[in-house]
Amino acid sequence: MSGGATRTGQRGRRQNMLTAAMVAPLVLFIVVVFLWPVARFLALSVDNSDISSNLSRTFAAIGDWQPATGSPPEPLLDALVQDLAEARNKGRDGVLAQLINQRQVGTRFLVIKTAKDAAEGKFDARPVGDALLATYPGWADPALWTEIIRARGTLTAYYLLGSLDLQRSADGGIERVPADRAVFVDALLRTIWISLVVTVVCAVLAIPVAQAIVSAPPAWSRIMFALVLFPLWTSLLVRTVIWIIVLQKNGPVNAALVFSGLVDTPLTLIYTRFSLYIAMIQVLLPLMVLSLVSVMRRVPASYMKAALSLGAPWATAWRRVQLPLIMPGLLAGSAIVFVFALGYYITPILVGGPGDQMISSYIAFYTNTTLNWGLAAALSVQLLLVLLASAFLLWTARVLTRRPAGAP
Amino acid sequence: MSAASIRRLAMYAYAATVLAFILVPLLIIVPMSFTSGTSLSFPTPGFSLRWYQELVDDPRWLTSFVNSVIVASASTLLSCLLGIPAAIGLAWGNFPGKRIVYALVAAPLVAPIVIVGVASFSFFAAAGLTGSRWALILSHTALAVPIMLTTVVASLSGFDRTLVRAAASLGAGTVRTFFRVILPLIAPGVVSGAIIAFIISFDEVVVASFLTTGEQRTLPRMIFSGVRESVSPAIAAVAVLLIAFSAVLLGIIGWLQSRAVRLRSRASA
Repeated sequence: MSGGATRTGQRGRRQNMLTAAMVAPLVLFIVVVFLWPVARFLALSVDNSDISSNLSRTFAAIGDWQPATGSPPEPLLDALVQDLAEARNKGRDGVLAQLINQRQVGTRFLVIKTAKDAAEGKFDARPVGDALLATYPGWADPALWTEIIRARGTLTAYYLLGSLDLQRSADGGIERVPADRAVFVDALLRTIWISLVVTVVCAVLAIPVAQAIVSAPPAWSRIMFALVLFPLWTSLLVRTVIWIIVLQKNGPVNAALVFSGLVDTPLTLIYTRFSLYIAMIQVLLPLMVLSLVSVMRRVPASYMKAALSLGAPWATAWRRVQLPLIMPGLLAGSAIVFVFALGYYITPILVGGPGDQMISSYIAFYTNTTLNWGLAAALSVQLLLVLLASAFLLWTARVLTRRPAGAP
Repeated sequence: MSAASIRRLAMYAYAATVLAFILVPLLIIVPMSFTSGTSLSFPTPGFSLRWYQELVDDPRWLTSFVNSVIVASASTLLSCLLGIPAAIGLAWGNFPGKRIVYALVAAPLVAPIVIVGVASFSFFAAAGLTGSRWALILSHTALAVPIMLTTVVASLSGFDRTLVRAAASLGAGTVRTFFRVILPLIAPGVVSGAIIAFIISFDEVVVASFLTTGEQRTLPRMIFSGVRESVSPAIAAVAVLLIAFSAVLLGIIGWLQSRAVRLRSRASA
């Protein structure tokens, strides 16, 4: 008896190992091709190794020297020349110049030229300090040295602070960046606001559609459901491009408006916040309908009928009976639409104006155009945190709305 | 007319309006793509096939279409190879960490696509794989495999596991049981999942624009760069062809699903 149980147990264990082994390749694949690349990229938001490893002698020579106390001492400048020469020989001088230039604008050529001269041995005679400062007086600037000293360490908060429009102040505290450079908090708030508007409008548009699908006769219900699903099968890019065609100056919408006499001259509809909302809502609406329908199918129509027959006005009955019953679907749909909307990139780029760009556009911009990977990674961290926080909030709300049976 | 039937009418009218908002843009560009003019103005001046002819004549469109088919087919095949065994393992297995596996595999679905694109670009550049199709195929597989997995897991939910034991008791090995018993029964789910995986890769543009250049351009990438310059009627023609393509694939899936339902009801009857 006990032997039989052990044999079953062994067989069960072997089968569990077999099934785990069947899952393992997929897990490994996702970790290598998705999780690891994303983690590696996000780590760039705090990575400072391009500065710390290329200026290691300089940082060691700084000691407790303060830029305010006077011009940089000879050992420091000597270390700097050695570091820059080595960076030049390793081909890292361009990266280093760019990173220093991000912190102290206008120093790119100072770094590149000094590195070139140092590598060519122009500053080999000791002492180097006077020769260096005579050729490149920029190295006597206390503001530059303040930035360099602040950039020491293998990790940096520079990019994460920057993605929140913050920077280190001269006394080491944290302050807001000048107003003309403060764009990221606005972009973040705009991203959240656009996603919120899209989610709310989707909900308002989707509830009656989902109700119609659920209460229509079976044949009609199937047709309507297929029609809602169909756009999900056409590419996001195609659906976005179509709105450019439909909303352009001489497109169908403007033709209809002019023909009906509502306007005299065609309106600018495309490349505006309006066109962005329209396109995003059209693209995301089917997802909201889908989650609502799956919940509404399980809500018996008799509940509403009972409330109405007991004399409740329709609006009250809907608000007090139907809405709480469909709330799980509404929240699930809102979570999906909101989370997807937060990460939108193609649609804002193609149908939005310059003032309608969301965080994703900035991430793409800083990697493609200015090669500021640290900032792109910091903005990505920010976007993912907002995404996780909102998903968590909506999930909590969903759990809380599952009221125990019989509760009022 | 009673208040209830007025409300009912209003609901259907509202639903019809919203459906029109979703669908009319997809339909209205069909006649516009057959324009004989040089721009996409409305009303269309006259009709011709010139822009479809242009698609055939311009080798860049054909090349990018072939690229998309190659990448999407390879991603679909990889998704099947990784997804089907994993789905069986997850559906039938009883090992710790199943929920973690589900969460892990679902992660590519919810991650903002730009982050996936930038991260893949930096990863494959470090691995020396940029400029090769493999980078895009691997990234697209990561995006497509979650759907493949969920579709196959769903089709396994009604699977009678005594059939596997029966096959084993009749002397069939694991491989033979898989190909002769399991696969035929879950085939509708596998084919649906494969079609969806194909579409995901075929339509994907953001990761493609980070990972491909020049000769490797996919069709969506070609549309994307074209649109940023100007929306020519040729782009409307491509859009119409892609919509028709999706409609055909959706039709196939609908047919497969209704067939699966019929088979299941016949089996239980």
